[in-house]
Amino acid sequence: MEELKMWLNFPVFASFAIVLWLAATGLFLFSASKMLNRLAAGLSVTGTAILLVFVIMLWISIDRPPMRTLGETRLWYAIFLSGIGLVSYLRWKYKWLVCYSLTLAVMFLSVNLNHPETYDKTLMPALQSPWFVPHVIVYIFAYALLGASSLVAIRNLFVKQSGKAISGPVSMADNLVYLGFSFLTLGLLFGALWAKEAWGHYWTWDPKETWAFITWMFYLVYIHYRFRNPLAHNKAMMILAASFVILLICWFGVNYLPSAQNSVHVYTE
Amino acid sequence: MSDENSRKTWVHPWSYREGTIVTVAILLLGFALQAAGGGMVLRVAGFPWNLISGIVFLGILVTFYFWLKKHPAVKWLGGVKAALPAILGFTFLVLLMGFVKQDVVHQNNLVRILGLSHLVQTWPFILINLYLMVLLGIVTLKRLTPFTRRNVGFFLNHFGLFLALFSTARGSSDVQTLNMNCYENQSEWRASDRRGNIVELPLAIKLLDFTIDEFRPKVTIIDNKTGKILMGKNRQSFELLDRDTFVFFEYHLEVDTFLATSGKVGESYFAVNEPGSAPSARVKVTNSLDGTVTSGWICSGSFVLQPEALKLNDHHSLVMLPAEPKKFSSEVSVLTKDGTSRNLTIEVNKPIMINGWTIYQLSYNEEMGRWSDMSVLQLVRDPWLPAVYSGIFLMMAGAVFLFIFGKPKNGGVENVA
Repeated sequence: MEELKMWLNFPVFASFAIVLWLAATGLFLFSASKMLNRLAAGLSVTGTAILLVFVIMLWISIDRPPMRTLGETRLWYAIFLSGIGLVSYLRWKYKWLVCYSLTLAVMFLSVNLNHPETYDKTLMPALQSPWFVPHVIVYIFAYALLGASSLVAIRNLFVKQSGKAISGPVSMADNLVYLGFSFLTLGLLFGALWAKEAWGHYWTWDPKETWAFITWMFYLVYIHYRFRNPLAHNKAMMILAASFVILLICWFGVNYLPSAQNSVHVYTE
Repeated sequence: MSDENSRKTWVHPWSYREGTIVTVAILLLGFALQAAGGGMVLRVAGFPWNLISGIVFLGILVTFYFWLKKHPAVKWLGGVKAALPAILGFTFLVLLMGFVKQDVVHQNNLVRILGLSHLVQTWPFILINLYLMVLLGIVTLKRLTPFTRRNVGFFLNHFGLFLALFSTARGSSDVQTLNMNCYENQSEWRASDRRGNIVELPLAIKLLDFTIDEFRPKVTIIDNKTGKILMGKNRQSFELLDRDTFVFFEYHLEVDTFLATSGKVGESYFAVNEPGSAPSARVKVTNSLDGTVTSGWICSGSFVLQPEALKLNDHHSLVMLPAEPKKFSSEVSVLTKDGTSRNLTIEVNKPIMINGWTIYQLSYNEEMGRWSDMSVLQLVRDPWLPAVYSGIFLMMAGAVFLFIFGKPKNGGVENVA
């Protein structure tokens, strides 16, 4: 009964997190006072903490890391995204980014509320490895950072059209991409080392590997382009927005590609 | 930038324009060679030719760099304006791999002639790889000096990638992957490669015991008419039989007895532990809509036993699915040519290493499941692995470097061709 009971609790936890995050977003958007902004930060971090508690309890009750299904990865994504939004607010004071991140996190939780997936206890032997947790966590964290960088990029593209200078936010996109890219690289290489342990080869061009590599190459293009053409903001932001599309194909889209059937990376339903 | 627009192509300093032309030319040449060869599968020569050609390549690269490093074309080769189009060209090929299913026979003529279904072993892939290697090599040499913090991070990322790509490409033909079917209490020293050729090994493996731990089986409800599994919105379609009562659609299930291994005698099941025995359970099912109660046995079946479903009513039946493996492992005794023998256990994710071979638990006789007396082991030999791993570890260090120091200040205005 355990995991089912745990899963029945999800709407409660998720609703609390959603209400807190929406309240924080509202406060960030409509208040100028320092006190209220602090309150907003507090609400936001409480929402994240509640969700984290849920994930830990779920982990204990299903007796395996909750990282196997798409729904489970969405939980982690909501946690990391809300956390990254808040940290970047505390660090750079960009209110709009924390608002976007929280809204996106709310969206991910809502998807889970509408499509609770089966929380299967069984885990195939190949996935029972010490590499499983670091590989997935590092990846989802990278995705969340790169997702935040794309929010910056999309915003910059619109701001650019209204004629404002954008060098500050662009360097913020750079910071997020450098962090995200370092995690993306580690996730990719952890995966290679694990694959060698589990399947005998570190790289087999499994469809998910192929798309992960494409994603990595796109961010590589962004980094090199920014490095060589630091003043061409608009093109750089377009590359960044396109990279995120590739990232989403890698994360969700691969599941629907006919070439990816039977891959261990297709999250089971 | 305004100079760039009025500059004629191939007049130095070269830019993205020349980079694009070179990359596209390499891709076109590659596809032309591939088509001319009728779409054949390319293989890099094995030892020692891969080692020799690798050393020659490195020798030429280093000599060429130090001889001509002042030449504007060499400066360009070590810069972003050559690298970016090359990265994009490589990405283009990998994108093709992302859409065209690899390693299967395609009927489409274009796919066949251009080798799109096995891109890794085609001319365009090999040529663009070689070009990237030249660029990575030159840029690594260029940034070896001065020895500053930034250049250390640069070296880790670029040389790490160079080393990983270089040794993967060189070593691909030296990788041996063999499958060995081991039967309990028999020694085996022959294995078969991907093409089915039998290879004799310098070691013999005797399977002492093969064991499987299974999860409890799952149960599901099927539609009697269609035989399909019942799906409901926001419902699980499967339940793991690891507890005594649960609610499943409109049914309330109670497990009276669960037998992990059982045989059927008459109409009932009894705990036995012999080949072919299977999990079974006696369950009581109450329909919450009309209050009817059904009870009886369900069994997942095996190569000996028939599966048994419990008919709940005209519409639905309760079915037990075969248990999924939680863990499988082989206890083996490995005898090497020098006469020593060692007893070891091989498990998924826990391979063993012996005399340069890594031995993996791959599979077993799946029809017999937990009663399988055969274990399929995979033996892999990859002499270039230490070089590949060195590259991977350098890149990991480079990633940590990026994490700590972030984006270099002043963008790339300085230090770039």
